Amino acid sequence: MGFSEPKEAKAEEEQLVKDLQAGKTESFERLATLFQKKIYALSFNLTRNAMDSEDVTQEVLLTLFKKIHTFQGKSAFSSWVYRITLNATYMKLRSRKKDQSISIEELLPSFNGSGFQQEKIQDWSENTESLLFDNETRETIQKAVDLLPDKEKVVFLLRDVEGLSTEKVSEILELTIPAVKSRLHRARLFLRKKLANYFEEYKVRKETK
Amino acid sequence: MICCKECLELLHDYLEGTLKLETSASLEEHFEDCPPCIAFVNTYKSTSHLCKTTLSSTEIPEIVKERLKEFVEKNKSG
Repeated sequence: MGFSEPKEAKAEEEQLVKDLQAGKTESFERLATLFQKKIYALSFNLTRNAMDSEDVTQEVLLTLFKKIHTFQGKSAFSSWVYRITLNATYMKLRSRKKDQSISIEELLPSFNGSGFQQEKIQDWSENTESLLFDNETRETIQKAVDLLPDKEKVVFLLRDVEGLSTEKVSEILELTIPAVKSRLHRARLFLRKKLANYFEEYKVRKETK
Repeated sequence: MICCKECLELLHDYLEGTLKLETSASLEEHFEDCPPCIAFVNTYKSTSHLCKTTLSSTEIPEIVKERLKEFVEKNKSG
């Protein structure tokens, strides 16, 4: 529960950091246990590659251990860990990436001259819960997130998937609050449209079966 | 009356509950007469929920956990 907010967890975290800074290496093990799942999951959601995520997790843990004296406590420790994780992940991606994200503008809602929605909007929100156990649905969701441009993707993952507050995300990414909100909103619009295409087609497929 | 475009632009803040009361009320007034916007709001909320449920289930595989443990052990003493 390394990233949870309750006071005891935070106090434990602060103590562990102090201990490690004071050279008590035993606390490294506990810090690693507390943070490794979050590091791995964030990295995996960005790379979608198990080997890369394992490498990143090792690198980040090692950085925590070796560079702990450079952590000055100006931001939350977890924000520092997230930043290191993002840097390590982006380094990995840079070495192999072909940019496959698509323009977000194409998937934003379209309006007529008086500002009314132009497309027919179906409400598929009621029927999706059972589909979550379906591999095709999960893959579609993963692929849609993979296609998000980096700027929007990282905000979406930290805010909606990790469940961090807007303020915390702005601290980690060194963005203003309005920038975090606007990127999150654009990401959600993009993903909504992607998922709408899928669920509407799914419904048609089911009805014509 | 506020249009769909304005409503959808304010959607993030509306769902966060950070809009002024009167702005919030005018969105709700619009939604009453606009089924497409209702469908949009519902599916917008669903989108976050579906993605969170799918992506936050990422676990470290057992074998990787083992290797990380060894890695931590080794570096702690090294």
